[in-house]
Amino acid sequence: MKIKFKLNGVFTEVYVEPHETLLNVLRDRLKVRSVKYGCGVGECGSCTVLLDGEPVPSCLVVAAKVDGSEVTTPDHIAQTELGKVIVDSMLEEGAIQCGYCTPGFLVTIYAALARGVRNVDEIRKAIAGNICRCTGYVNILKAVKKILERVGS
Amino acid sequence: MFNFIGRSFPRHDGFAKASGLAEFTFDVEVPGMLYGRIFKSPHAFARVGRVDASGAEALGAVVLTPDDVPDRLFNPRLISIEEDTFKDWRVLTKVPRYFGEPIAAVAAPTEDTAQRALEALRVDFEEVYDPVLDPFKAMSPSTRPIHERVMRGGRWIEVKNNIAAELRYSEGDLDSEEKRSSVVIERKFHASRRYHTQLEPKGAVCKLEPDGTLVVWTTTQTIHNTKILISQVYGIPMNRVDVRKVLLGGGFGSSIHTNLVTLIAVGLCLKSRKPVKLVLTREEDMVHDHVSFEFYMKVRAGATRDGSITFGELDNLIDVGAHQIQAYPILGTSLGWFVSLYKWRAVKYHGRSVYTNKVPSCAIRGYGAPEITWAVETVVDELAEELKIDPLEFRLANYRGRGEIFWGQGPTVKSIIRSDGVPELIAKGSEIIGWKRRESPRVKTGRFRRGVGVGRGFHTSGAGGPLSGAIIDYTGAVVKVNEDGSIDYITALQDHGGGTLDAHIKIIAEELKIPPGKVRVVWSGTSTTVYDVCTHASRGVFTGGEAARRAALEVKKKVLEYASRILDSVSPEALRIEYDRELSDAVIFVEGAPEKRITLSEVARVAWQRNWGSISASVSYRATVAPPSFTVYFVEVEVDMETGVIKPIRVVAGADIGTVISPELAAGQIHGGFAIGWSWTVGDEVSYLENGVPAHRMSLTDYKLPTSMDLPSDEDFIVLFASTYEPFGPFGAKGLGEAASNPVIAAVANAIYNATGIRFYEIPMTPEKILKAIKEGE
Repeated sequence: MKIKFKLNGVFTEVYVEPHETLLNVLRDRLKVRSVKYGCGVGECGSCTVLLDGEPVPSCLVVAAKVDGSEVTTPDHIAQTELGKVIVDSMLEEGAIQCGYCTPGFLVTIYAALARGVRNVDEIRKAIAGNICRCTGYVNILKAVKKILERVGS
Repeated sequence: MFNFIGRSFPRHDGFAKASGLAEFTFDVEVPGMLYGRIFKSPHAFARVGRVDASGAEALGAVVLTPDDVPDRLFNPRLISIEEDTFKDWRVLTKVPRYFGEPIAAVAAPTEDTAQRALEALRVDFEEVYDPVLDPFKAMSPSTRPIHERVMRGGRWIEVKNNIAAELRYSEGDLDSEEKRSSVVIERKFHASRRYHTQLEPKGAVCKLEPDGTLVVWTTTQTIHNTKILISQVYGIPMNRVDVRKVLLGGGFGSSIHTNLVTLIAVGLCLKSRKPVKLVLTREEDMVHDHVSFEFYMKVRAGATRDGSITFGELDNLIDVGAHQIQAYPILGTSLGWFVSLYKWRAVKYHGRSVYTNKVPSCAIRGYGAPEITWAVETVVDELAEELKIDPLEFRLANYRGRGEIFWGQGPTVKSIIRSDGVPELIAKGSEIIGWKRRESPRVKTGRFRRGVGVGRGFHTSGAGGPLSGAIIDYTGAVVKVNEDGSIDYITALQDHGGGTLDAHIKIIAEELKIPPGKVRVVWSGTSTTVYDVCTHASRGVFTGGEAARRAALEVKKKVLEYASRILDSVSPEALRIEYDRELSDAVIFVEGAPEKRITLSEVARVAWQRNWGSISASVSYRATVAPPSFTVYFVEVEVDMETGVIKPIRVVAGADIGTVISPELAAGQIHGGFAIGWSWTVGDEVSYLENGVPAHRMSLTDYKLPTSMDLPSDEDFIVLFASTYEPFGPFGAKGLGEAASNPVIAAVANAIYNATGIRFYEIPMTPEKILKAIKEGE
């Protein structure tokens, strides 16, 4: 079936199979490689995207259901003003190691900030669905504090 | 003082990674490529009869069977010299020895077709055997041999009682040391099989160039050893295999060897003559591909009343699963970790690696050191308690430090310790954690009980040594000055994420006195780099960084030589070179003659314009030592006596890594080292059903990892660096990656004891086990 949705602000039409996930369609059909496959069961958060503003693991979303929605991916978020603040802060605090999970963290943190969250503990809870095996989350939390300082109220 | 070393610079690959634009193996795509799938054995131990490919081929798939791959045994890990390399693997097998061992593979133009072709394959099994799962039963003479014979180097050897490798060692007079001991403690330990859970599952993409050269992108910690193994297995000259470096989504040892998926992808590519992409699902990666070693250790150790350690004995039985990756070397390093921890006056060691019908084990961060350190640091804690000596004083009096012989990487790699920050780290760490206020577990009451524990350990920096030894360890670097003075740095060395290559950038910048931003790491392959053994053994900064420094030094000599021509200096030695912040460049000058001054960029330009030739250097380097990076962890935990749940409260982690090149990235290694060590201590475990199928935890839904809510926040995690300088390291630096995790299990276990009065000799220490022990104690 053909679906039409807004991908990073641009109307996009794509043919999808009924069983395909948003993750597959983004990566394989639309060549959006910033969305990473990690587990396929919604546990690791590497494939997180914004679906109508909400962070979701794209491996759990049936692509057909995205028809008419708005999807935002990490490569796009990284180029926004708020996205740049997040990325710069993560870089400065050494919050990025192997980098495979990082785009997912970017999306989750961005979504929390966009909803108006300005509290470290709430963001810490928000990223509990993003698994990182490298950092122990310490420098990520330091980056979150820096982001909050920079973003202000 | 340094210009760049020790200062923070955003990592060179940071934006690419954060935005997701960075390319991992999973992201590599070649036009016209086929998608591969693997037929995995449904039995843990069986003999294949016939592989019927007709159904799969009717769908248009290319099928690879055991008969299509060279009948050649190999070991996927090329680290030992040839005569110490044990070979028992085939690319595809007719005798699957673990659940999921690859028997055949298919490739088709779409993933869906590939999957349907996989399902259309018919594999008959002539025999299905009862799998051998218990390593102790495996050694019984009546147990069916998993391998009857394997190859060691070029010759066949018989396997007896399923013992894959064995190592004995002794030194000193153990009996008399035991006799003069006032206290002797003997304990048994068991460390589970743990899954690495690197975030990127394994995969490979291959293509053939028109001239027949095979190009490979794959999840690997070593591109050159991957090249060599492909060459050896498929009989292709090494200059016709170009393994390209691509980002690795986490290693932790899981890709320390050449992954089977890589060799299968190559086979599919060679048969189909088309590009092939073969990537594992998470389930395949975790159930069928790799897992840590499983340790059964028995430690005996003694000490005299005045607190000096007398002897140490270690019986070390390792369940290696169905094939050898490092079954022999792990016995040597286990011994090395044991011997190098304390000044035993007598040592006795018996190590055995045993085959079972389970997924083959490979290195996991620390290569046996976390497990051995846990066992020894527990026994040492108990000895100190028994002798009523402060555990810190006991450690300080007995550990192997400056001036002592050290052989962490095993008996063939010995050197003298020249830098040692242990006393400083113990003094500072104990002060911060409040060691003196630590109370005995006997006085603790209530539901939530807190305890403080210490764990001390180390890891080597690489596996270099003064003699060649049994382990291959050297690396290379190419530094090239472009015609505008910008630098290309070309290396095969893989950065797992710790920031190894950022350290190299700073080292090159420091040597050449140019800003780090002028150095670019070139993404290259085996065809365009000189040999590097592997990013393992925490050698990336110590060995790789020194190779980079030496290449930069050679370049600097050439720069000075050209500058002396331009400046009419009597000799290059008369010139000075310094970093000029305003010009953002190196300036070369004659002291006392202000007009005699030129930038490095101008030297490069003039050399080009006057036809003097390129300024570049290629270096191959072997370290002659493998110095220990010491780490001391103080951990405070809280145990819920009603649920058995443990929480980390505070961590004070001290590391002696010589000169600290990137403070925030080094701290990140320590945070991550604690995280994985915590995970091993409280949760990680792969267990098996009677038929050899993993019991549960087939996905990350069941195999739970610590989240941001389970680990200490930045406020509760203090990192200390010792003020040491390692004379053999680049600008005084040592390694870190594995030292960061090695003492963690020990420190947490000792903290749990301090909270509850109960010692656990088995990891993971799950809430169920803790609760059971609490109930039994009552």
